[in-house]
Amino acid sequence: MQQRESTKNPKQALHVCRSSQSDLSEWRIGVKTAGPKSVDLKSAEKYKKEKQQSASDQADNSTQDHLEQALTYFERGKIKDCIPLKKNEALQKHLATVESVALQRGLSPEGLDVLLNVALSGRLADTVNGRILKCLIPASLIAESSVVSAVSWLCVGKCSGSTQLLFLRWLIAMFDFIDHKEKLHALYGIFFCSLQDEKQCPYVCHLLYLLTRRENGESIQSGMQPHLQALLSLYKLLCPELVSITLPAKMKTYFRNSASLWKAAINAIRRRNQGTSPTSQQLNLGTAHLQSRKRKWNTQLILPACNAETNNPIKSEEVNHIDILSHSESFPVEQLHTFSQLLQNIHHLEFPSQMGSVLRNSLLLHYMNCVKDESIYLRLYYWMGQTLQEECTWSKIDNEQYEEEFKDFLDIIYKTECFLQKGFSSCEEFLYKSLPFWDGFCCRSQILRLVSWIPLSNFSEIKPLLCEPLAQLFFTSSLYFKCSVLESLKELLQNWLSWHVMQLDVEADPKISPLNSTLSGLVNSVADLIHFVGWISTVALRLENNATFLLYFILDFYETVCDVYLKYNLPLLVMPPPGVFYPALLSVDSVSLNQLCYIMYRYRTNLVAAKENEQIKKTILQFKFSSQTYQEYNQYIMAMVGCLWTSSAFQKDIHPQGIRLDPEVLKKTRVQEVRNSFNIVHHPALMGYAILFLQQAWPEDKTLNFNLIKGRRWNWYLEYLYMQGFQGLKLFIESSINRVSQVSQTKLGNDQDS
Amino acid sequence: MKYWDQLSEAYNRPLKGSLDKPLEKIIFIHLATSLPLPAERDHIRPRIDLIVFMINIQSKYSFKNVEASLSHMDAKFFLGKVCFLITGAGRVNHCSVEMNAVRKLGNLHCSPVIFCELDSEGIRLATAQRLLRILQICAGHVPGVSALFFSSLMKSSIDE
Repeated sequence: MQQRESTKNPKQALHVCRSSQSDLSEWRIGVKTAGPKSVDLKSAEKYKKEKQQSASDQADNSTQDHLEQALTYFERGKIKDCIPLKKNEALQKHLATVESVALQRGLSPEGLDVLLNVALSGRLADTVNGRILKCLIPASLIAESSVVSAVSWLCVGKCSGSTQLLFLRWLIAMFDFIDHKEKLHALYGIFFCSLQDEKQCPYVCHLLYLLTRRENGESIQSGMQPHLQALLSLYKLLCPELVSITLPAKMKTYFRNSASLWKAAINAIRRRNQGTSPTSQQLNLGTAHLQSRKRKWNTQLILPACNAETNNPIKSEEVNHIDILSHSESFPVEQLHTFSQLLQNIHHLEFPSQMGSVLRNSLLLHYMNCVKDESIYLRLYYWMGQTLQEECTWSKIDNEQYEEEFKDFLDIIYKTECFLQKGFSSCEEFLYKSLPFWDGFCCRSQILRLVSWIPLSNFSEIKPLLCEPLAQLFFTSSLYFKCSVLESLKELLQNWLSWHVMQLDVEADPKISPLNSTLSGLVNSVADLIHFVGWISTVALRLENNATFLLYFILDFYETVCDVYLKYNLPLLVMPPPGVFYPALLSVDSVSLNQLCYIMYRYRTNLVAAKENEQIKKTILQFKFSSQTYQEYNQYIMAMVGCLWTSSAFQKDIHPQGIRLDPEVLKKTRVQEVRNSFNIVHHPALMGYAILFLQQAWPEDKTLNFNLIKGRRWNWYLEYLYMQGFQGLKLFIESSINRVSQVSQTKLGNDQDS
Repeated sequence: MKYWDQLSEAYNRPLKGSLDKPLEKIIFIHLATSLPLPAERDHIRPRIDLIVFMINIQSKYSFKNVEASLSHMDAKFFLGKVCFLITGAGRVNHCSVEMNAVRKLGNLHCSPVIFCELDSEGIRLATAQRLLRILQICAGHVPGVSALFFSSLMKSSIDE
């Protein structure tokens, strides 16, 4: 037990020095976590805690002794074969000690080694083996050698099937805690052989899934259980020539959750270790970084410290062509610190076995982006899906206290998606599952941002999963929620369109296309999304009484829509519904009116370009804007010009849902000069500017006679408006209103006739 | 029902600030463990704008109780003045009523189903505000939007 003694002593020494220096170190922590204001309070509190800690340390020492005894008992092998637990008091006592210590503080690598050996040697009864395995919670790491010797026990076949199963589950749950994995990889074949055991198969598959690297691309013949599918899909990605079976494209949950038995205990110990003190000797998984904050995600998202082969570090200068061609040697990812290192070693990088760690490593993200290897996504897929589901704060209400950590995690995923310009399918599935239960409040911005990265797929499939729960929330939530939803749907649209543009550039083979179909599929999906947003926008304007703030977000969405043809090269133009167009046209806010003018100008530019293309090519184009689009545009433009320019809004509007009114009805309103009331002088959004203009042009005239703005002054007034920043209005008037002949100002743009 | 007080408190809180037009009228919340309501006070009972059926998904009795109560309702309420508030869905392992059964109940009665975790203050508050918005519409305080129109918006198309 000398080994264990030696690990214990420095720890005690450290305790002493820590308590004498605590003021200084706590001050530093206080600054980091809470800012300078609360330093005093915090450090005082910490000091108190520390005192309590040292008292409990003494108690710890005695339990440590008990543990030593128990471990010696197990190790020396004084136990006769398969004694039942009831008749052996010593065994009972030691087992209880081990269990309590393990659950409280976790076990050291040496302790784990001893207990693993006992549990798998078959010397004890099955129930005892089970109890031991269930309490094998590592305090820091698990030595690879213990795992290897444990696997060798499996091969001897001394322990029962159920113990073997439990061990496999334990191995999967603790996979990330194992310090090295090279020797474990060497055992790949042994695990592979045990695939034949029906009961073990699901767990072995999961284990192989975690272990598999490119060189393991062997093929197996089997039925199609989900766990085998998972493994096969990984093989197929790595060595497509060896796996001839076609696998379903959509993935489901492949593996049973093996970690459930140990998860609570692991988390408890993790928190305990992080909570006691940052200088604690006990290692957390991957906290080789000194700056680790007290967050659960750090432990899962930081690169595991040791993973790849470290025996023969490759010096970058010595890289020759043979190295590059052979994949046998890989550069350890934990040594990757700079971009130039990445460039030099890009041919022999191997991802860490803990794929989640990639999310926080920008260099590896670069690598991920450039290798375009689908297996990476597959490896991330399972981990991410499970983590999202397990940590979701509203689907599992017990997680509520960890909301900040969950937010942080969602943020990281979003950033990664932005970096890779690609949505994760596990994230998409998580949204579909959890949106119906969402209150629309917790983690709002994170969730809505993730919505914007939902991969492009058939809209009729997305609709019941995404749109319906989202619409229900949308209609019952606040104005700000409505605006955020519109914003994220705009980003979703932009992401889909950018994806389309990228496909055009790459001219990639159609296999990769998520719709697995033609341009028409894409056009339909995008059109459906735009129609959906049009519908909820119309309703939202009603519900919120045409709030200007909301209108801004809606028009912002249409700024993307109106340019789809020219900017994103997609043959599609969808006009805004009248429920959006008229509130914007008659808005009291000048920003909305200006925005609408700009949008209508872009619609015109796009339509004109489409018309020209049609005429030039003469060939039968697969996609043409329907005459309905042109008609709708013309109706809107008539209404707009009638309103703003020719003062004939109530006569000229021919849109069925427009503002055309009978002269009889207008007369009854007894409003004077009804005709003028929405032109650029009298429009409620612009009247303020007209007043300022009058005041500047005729300072002595206090009557505010709007009729003075006429003829030449009308042009001056226009110039004045342009100077006030109405660029949208300027573009609109210059393009859509033919002002060459001042007499027939009513004549519209060229495409009026088309 | 221990959370009702907090829920109704949250109900009244947003009236002061977050809604741009405060409802001039006070909201009365009438609690009942089941329907029908006793007949003797019928004449002094104020108009009912919205009925919220609370179902604890962890109890079969709760679900059956609501199902039984629904048969006592006047059909006109189902034109947009009913909603189902499902509690306890955050602990999947404790659920004794199937999620599908709840959704079916909502579809059958043309009424929206809302999920809420009473144990969480944030969710409680957010849900209370959502209910308040629904109430605002049901009571006719949003011009141009009727309860019936609104319930058609909230209807899911999955059953179609």
